[in-house]
Amino acid sequence: MTMAPAVKLALVTGASSGIGKGIALRLARDGYRVLVHYNSGRAGAEHTLEAIRSAGGEGDLIQFDVGDAAAVEAALESHAKEFPNLPISVLVNNAGVHNDTLLGIMSNEAFDSVMRTNVNGPFYLMRWCVRKMLRARAGTIVNIASLAGQTGNAGQANYAASKAALIAMTKTLAMEVGTRGIRVNAVAPGLIETDMISEIPQIGEMVKRIPLGRVGTVDEVAGVVSFLCSPDAGYITGHTISVNGGLFPS
Amino acid sequence: MNDQMSLSNEIQTKVNDLFIKGFEIPSEKLTPTASLYEDLGLDSLDAVDMLVHLEETFKIKVDGERLMEVRTLQNVYDLVAEVARNAGSETVAQHAPALTANV
Repeated sequence: MTMAPAVKLALVTGASSGIGKGIALRLARDGYRVLVHYNSGRAGAEHTLEAIRSAGGEGDLIQFDVGDAAAVEAALESHAKEFPNLPISVLVNNAGVHNDTLLGIMSNEAFDSVMRTNVNGPFYLMRWCVRKMLRARAGTIVNIASLAGQTGNAGQANYAASKAALIAMTKTLAMEVGTRGIRVNAVAPGLIETDMISEIPQIGEMVKRIPLGRVGTVDEVAGVVSFLCSPDAGYITGHTISVNGGLFPS
Repeated sequence: MNDQMSLSNEIQTKVNDLFIKGFEIPSEKLTPTASLYEDLGLDSLDAVDMLVHLEETFKIKVDGERLMEVRTLQNVYDLVAEVARNAGSETVAQHAPALTANV
């Protein structure tokens, strides 16, 4: 009798499009079974899952609102009950929203809603996952931050603050759980070819300031996430890796 | 009364088992007054880990902040008993699986 190789599970939040979709596909290619998370974008998540399967990978869909603590817990508990031998080995907190305007006219709702998804969400997910990872004495978490969280960005006080908070949370959790073999890192993408940047009016001007002279690709972000999840990154924790074409050398 | 006695014995046995198998603590150290941190050598992260163990073993849900009140092994027994009582003690008696050393 041959033993099947142990399949590891990776949860990627916000995997129905853009960077999240790219990360889900890449981790599936790396051999992870991928939990493709979505909140409202079911059709997109189904496309991601189809793409995983047609490339020979494995995955499942999971739906919840990351900013709703009870919903996060209920969905993850229910998955854990259904697959007791398939704990989450890798968590990628990618789900995020933005709602841009100048701080002077930003509504409470615009501020709170961005913090809720981008900060509370990763907190709820990391709290649940890290408790399981403590038991396993292993696990890897990658938080998708942003260049805006490192430098600030006019018109994005809420988004920039949320991403800076995520970077700080990454460092803190890395310090707390390092002794148990759990690594926590962040990736801070700059301008990446997604729907999110197609809305930026002065994109041409911004590209001129990028040393590499172009926007980045989703695959270039996913590749760094893949590296951080791999044993090659076994001595890296608490870091934020910038993927920004040299726009902000951190 | 007998039921309560056996429940509390069962909690004690299972909690002690957790410390022996999960944290590799010799059984002779497991006295009710033993301090988790000073006598048994747990750190704060072990306490979180213990909480997860307890939740899985006894099928209960414990508010993480309650850990602040827990100092001794007796405190752990009492906390489990209290939470289990509130949740329905049958859960503890009937569904608690055997602990494994897989920690």
